[in-house]
Amino acid sequence: MSDAKKLTICHLFPDLLDLYGDRGNILSFIKRLEWRGMDAELTEIKKDDKISLANADIVILGGGSDREQRAVCEYLSAVKTDFWSYVDDGGVMLALCGGYPMLGSYLYIAGEKLGGLGIVDMYTEQGEKRVIGNVVLESDFANGKNTVVGFENHGTKTYIKNAQPFGKVINGFGNNGEDETEGVVYKNVLGTYLHGPILPKNPHITDELIKRALIRKYGQAELEPLYDTLEDEAHSYAVNRFSKK
Amino acid sequence: MNRFRLILAVMACKLAIWGSKMLGKHGSSMPGHLAFKIYPGVLKDLSAQIKREIIVVCGTNGKTTTNNLLYSFLNSSGYKVVCNRVGANMFYGVCCAFAAEANIFGKLNRDFACLEVDEASTVKVFAHIKPDKMLITNLFRDQLDRYGEIEQTAGYLKRALEQSPDTELIINADDPLVAQFGLDRERKCHYIGVDEGAVNEKDESYFCVLCGEKLDYEYRHYSQLGKYSCPSCVFKRPELDFKVKDVSQDGGLKFNLLYDGKTVPFDVNYRGFYNIYNISLSYAAATLAVGEISDYLKILAQYKPQIGRMEEFSLLKTTVLNMAKNPAGFNQALTTVLKDTKTKDILLAVNDYESDGQDISWLWDVDFELLNDSGVLNIITTGIRADELALRLKYAGVKEEKITKTSNLKVAVNLLQNGGAEVCYALANYTAVFSLYDIFKNAEKEVGANE
Repeated sequence: MSDAKKLTICHLFPDLLDLYGDRGNILSFIKRLEWRGMDAELTEIKKDDKISLANADIVILGGGSDREQRAVCEYLSAVKTDFWSYVDDGGVMLALCGGYPMLGSYLYIAGEKLGGLGIVDMYTEQGEKRVIGNVVLESDFANGKNTVVGFENHGTKTYIKNAQPFGKVINGFGNNGEDETEGVVYKNVLGTYLHGPILPKNPHITDELIKRALIRKYGQAELEPLYDTLEDEAHSYAVNRFSKK
Repeated sequence: MNRFRLILAVMACKLAIWGSKMLGKHGSSMPGHLAFKIYPGVLKDLSAQIKREIIVVCGTNGKTTTNNLLYSFLNSSGYKVVCNRVGANMFYGVCCAFAAEANIFGKLNRDFACLEVDEASTVKVFAHIKPDKMLITNLFRDQLDRYGEIEQTAGYLKRALEQSPDTELIINADDPLVAQFGLDRERKCHYIGVDEGAVNEKDESYFCVLCGEKLDYEYRHYSQLGKYSCPSCVFKRPELDFKVKDVSQDGGLKFNLLYDGKTVPFDVNYRGFYNIYNISLSYAAATLAVGEISDYLKILAQYKPQIGRMEEFSLLKTTVLNMAKNPAGFNQALTTVLKDTKTKDILLAVNDYESDGQDISWLWDVDFELLNDSGVLNIITTGIRADELALRLKYAGVKEEKITKTSNLKVAVNLLQNGGAEVCYALANYTAVFSLYDIFKNAEKEVGANE
């Protein structure tokens, strides 16, 4: 029996929400735990599985095509109080691309209005056009680097009211193209339209989420630094190339 | 028909083709664009002169190979054929293919037209051309930022077909996303598939296009291709009209194609399971159009693959170039490379120009974990997104000392040639393949000059 620390990563509906390389985000969590001598367990909740967050330390909700996104929205809405307790308890959650608007009170999928999980006081409207492109943010979510790079592809506009944004848009559309915000941070929930996938090229974000999950589970967390040359180079490349408007 | 403007359009197009050849371009859509601007009826008028059939080839992967094989089958059987062989597969590329073959009086003396058409261009192309037959190879996720989602691509094909109710289909029945086009009972459809296989261990889910239920597979070849059925509705792999059996991939490709009580044996020096579909679809279309193709094996052996389709170059070391531009294509290419038992150095090149797709997140859906194989010695990542590729490999568990990255393709090719492996492979996405092809061709000349 190993006494290494362990985090359980719960990936919601990887069989339905499988667009945009989310596997990179999962790998980023797993590898960065393993490289530090910790254990990572991946739980995948698939179609027709019972949704349980009881053992989860990090929950990932990704993006899929409209039809699948709508199905998932229905499955999750049926157990939204479970999400509320998980989040109130400090549970770490990463909601990406199409998964991000589900955090709010309502959203639009392919022009149809749907109720969200109501985790964050925010809402999502149908946009006029789809926005597609590379994005650079300035963000103080994590220690260390204050930039975030990713790719956005969405036809909706999200308004986060008084909630804290994930970052300020340096280049790209962001939440709504109006207030220069991108994403949302609420307790230990991070919501963002960005994929790319987002975590491998932004290892400081991965580490911050890991740290928060460890603190919740073990009361404390010290992450030893990793040899991040390839990560940093990929990050800097994107910052340098895509910061210009 | 406006004869005068047609003639003007044809002549302008020919002149522009000649001009861009002088400039050393790999083929572009500009001459077709010019012809269409001069006379918007150019495609309709010229295609109406085809004497026998217009055959269109669509699908994410394998379009060019399938279409060019079909051309070879028909051409070698003595027919005159219009074909957009340079891979110019959008609307203006199709216009250009016809105008280039017409004479200066706007007359086209051709029996067949074989056209590969980009899925997103089908709606526009079908507004001008009513094809007699349409082949669909497969539908995979490809270049998300350009085409949106796979449902959208399927939507284009559906809308195109609605405009042309008499078009017969010849399609890959093993792909449930493709087989849905045969559900229209009014339309004649010929199904092709591999009628044997093993259970694929990889745990992936695919869903019914009719009811959304998870499909059951009796066996699966790769990605969503296999023998499937829906547990909760009527959707299943259709009865095959052309059955592939007795597949062997040792060395080249061997299989039998069974139809109409006949068994046609294939034995070719091609690599990759996907070529079974390319060969069977093109053969089926050719035989449905003109009957027996007597010297089909000779035609297949003589067929020169398009740029970067497992194409061999004699450089310092044998180097194989292959285009791979989406997860399904890349996984097939990696599997094919790893079937080679020699030690290998591998170059991976990815660009993100507009025609490549700006969104490179698909790299994370490729099974680069396969490269943790003792036969793979060094991996060089290159192209504009060399950094992202190297990072992807690190998270696939590839040891960092095996990875070298450089955004300069020439430097990368040098490194590749000077590695320690017996054979070299280069896998590259769309624009990177063309650049590498030029570099390899030049290097081949230098090697030849030094010998």
